[in-house]
Amino acid sequence: MRPTRARATTAAAGVIAALGALPLFLSSTWLVVMFLSFVWLILTANYDVLDGFLGHINLGQGAFFGLGAYVATMLLNIPSVQQLGALTHVVITVSALAAAALFAAVMAFPLFRLKGLYFAIGTLILIFLLQVLALNLGPLTGGSYGLYVPPAFFMSTFVAYYLALVVAIVSVALNCYLSRSTLGLAFRCIKEDEGAAQAIGLSLMKYKSIAIVLSSLPSAAAGVLFALNSGFIDPNIALGVERSLLPALMALMGGTGTVLGPVFGTAIIRIVETVFFHYLRLPVPSMLFFGITLLAVALVIPEGLLKSPRMRRLALFRALAS
Amino acid sequence: MARVLELIVSGLSLGGIYALLAFAMSLTISTTRVLNVAHGVFFVWGGAFFVILSQHLNLHPALALLILTVLFFGFALLFEWGIVRSLLGRSVHLLLTGSIMATFGLGLSMESALGYSWVTFVDPYPVFSSSLAMFPLTLGGVSLSGSRLVILAFVLLMVSGFHLFLHKTFLGKGARAMAQNFDGFVVIGLNPYRLSMILFTLAIVATAISGAFYVLAVPLNPYEGLPLTLKAFTVVILAGVGNLPATLVAGTVLGLAEVITSQLLGTVWAPAVSLTMLFLVLSFKPTGLFGKGVY
Repeated sequence: MRPTRARATTAAAGVIAALGALPLFLSSTWLVVMFLSFVWLILTANYDVLDGFLGHINLGQGAFFGLGAYVATMLLNIPSVQQLGALTHVVITVSALAAAALFAAVMAFPLFRLKGLYFAIGTLILIFLLQVLALNLGPLTGGSYGLYVPPAFFMSTFVAYYLALVVAIVSVALNCYLSRSTLGLAFRCIKEDEGAAQAIGLSLMKYKSIAIVLSSLPSAAAGVLFALNSGFIDPNIALGVERSLLPALMALMGGTGTVLGPVFGTAIIRIVETVFFHYLRLPVPSMLFFGITLLAVALVIPEGLLKSPRMRRLALFRALAS
Repeated sequence: MARVLELIVSGLSLGGIYALLAFAMSLTISTTRVLNVAHGVFFVWGGAFFVILSQHLNLHPALALLILTVLFFGFALLFEWGIVRSLLGRSVHLLLTGSIMATFGLGLSMESALGYSWVTFVDPYPVFSSSLAMFPLTLGGVSLSGSRLVILAFVLLMVSGFHLFLHKTFLGKGARAMAQNFDGFVVIGLNPYRLSMILFTLAIVATAISGAFYVLAVPLNPYEGLPLTLKAFTVVILAGVGNLPATLVAGTVLGLAEVITSQLLGTVWAPAVSLTMLFLVLSFKPTGLFGKGVY
């Protein structure tokens, strides 16, 4: 066990170092592509906290992202917040994270009364509800015209890249922690059998609330970074259905409940997306492609690449999954 | 007064359509445990195909409905054979993830395929509405929209049809048995695969025809499918899975609530009604307004 673990740590350190050095060699276009991939990775890893470890399909992961982006941008448009100087970024980030965590904690009560497909649809409704609010509370959110970040607070892609990298590492490390800690064990116990988990004294609502709050924080941070870097958000960009759908697709493709599954899933989907839609510029709507991919993944490799029996027979995948 | 009557008729017809949509959905959920997220998209496709057939190809509406039925019969068989069939044998968790993800993927790709090809090939303005002339009806000095009344009549017809199917036919009784006790259903030698095929075909064809009737009164756009699925699901939860009379009541409540909201607060808030309603029910009475019912 020990040598594998040491090797895994070395490999992880190597990958992180390579990603840290990457911006020196990349053009600004590719820097943006990498930054967005990190944002997706954060959402996917967070999605997997609820799906892979707790067995709940959360189709509202994008709600936390959108909430973070909106809270940060709304605060930046208030004059008294703009005059805080260096503190501004701290204030908006902390309030965005707090808003998302509060939202998650409050929503945990109605949502976790549901199980299975009812939970999935309940969370999907969450994102539609936020969309309606963002569209209709015009004075606050700008309605369908969206909100602009004041130019003084733009974040360069170079800075955003490193911050997103850090948040992504934190998210993956969180999943890694969950895969080998008592907290994660409690989650998986609840996933396997709720009745048995209650019988040994685990409070279901407590652990489920912890899981949803943990999974909301990095997503909200990703939302803040995205808003600051792109400078503009509207209900479609920040709260579109794909913000919730793609994390589920990527996690499912890589294999839920494994630390590396979301990473591989995100990498595969992002590479295919970049090649097809940014490089070859295929004249098909991207949602058509993602929809069909999701359908195919759900039908052909329901367990995900890293856990699929077909893939496990390949030695390379066995080495990666360990 | 006239305005109130008009609102009630449009609320009832809207609610009736929601109830139909929800009932077809709860029929398939309660029997096969497969949630069809693409359900609302089939509704929108039904509306779109009806507009293409009756308006752009200038067919008689009755002929258009007939072609629509045959077409969606085929789609439904494909759907059942390609997706539902391969999901049915899975363990509980994989069935759940599989059904949500596969039908969500299907729904999104159907939605964007329709939106894209409509704008490219049919009309740059992506809204389907039927211009079939519908007589305005005057009733005691109040003029009512004829198309709303046609929808209302259609809903009543479909609901009584569903009721008779479930209570009088062998297949309908089989469906109720499958919803009540799946293992017992298999033990007495009935074939769940065949019944699931029949039920999905029935549900999807009924949904597509409802879509065709809906566009008579209300224009649809290609991206309304998923929100409609959510509304249908709201009605399913409000009523309890598989409870036909309660589904009718819950659908009507939702339709009236939406009409009243758009009258008082403006149409932009109408989509929020079902969502808030669902959250309130989940928070205070998660078993649904009428408890859990089986047909």
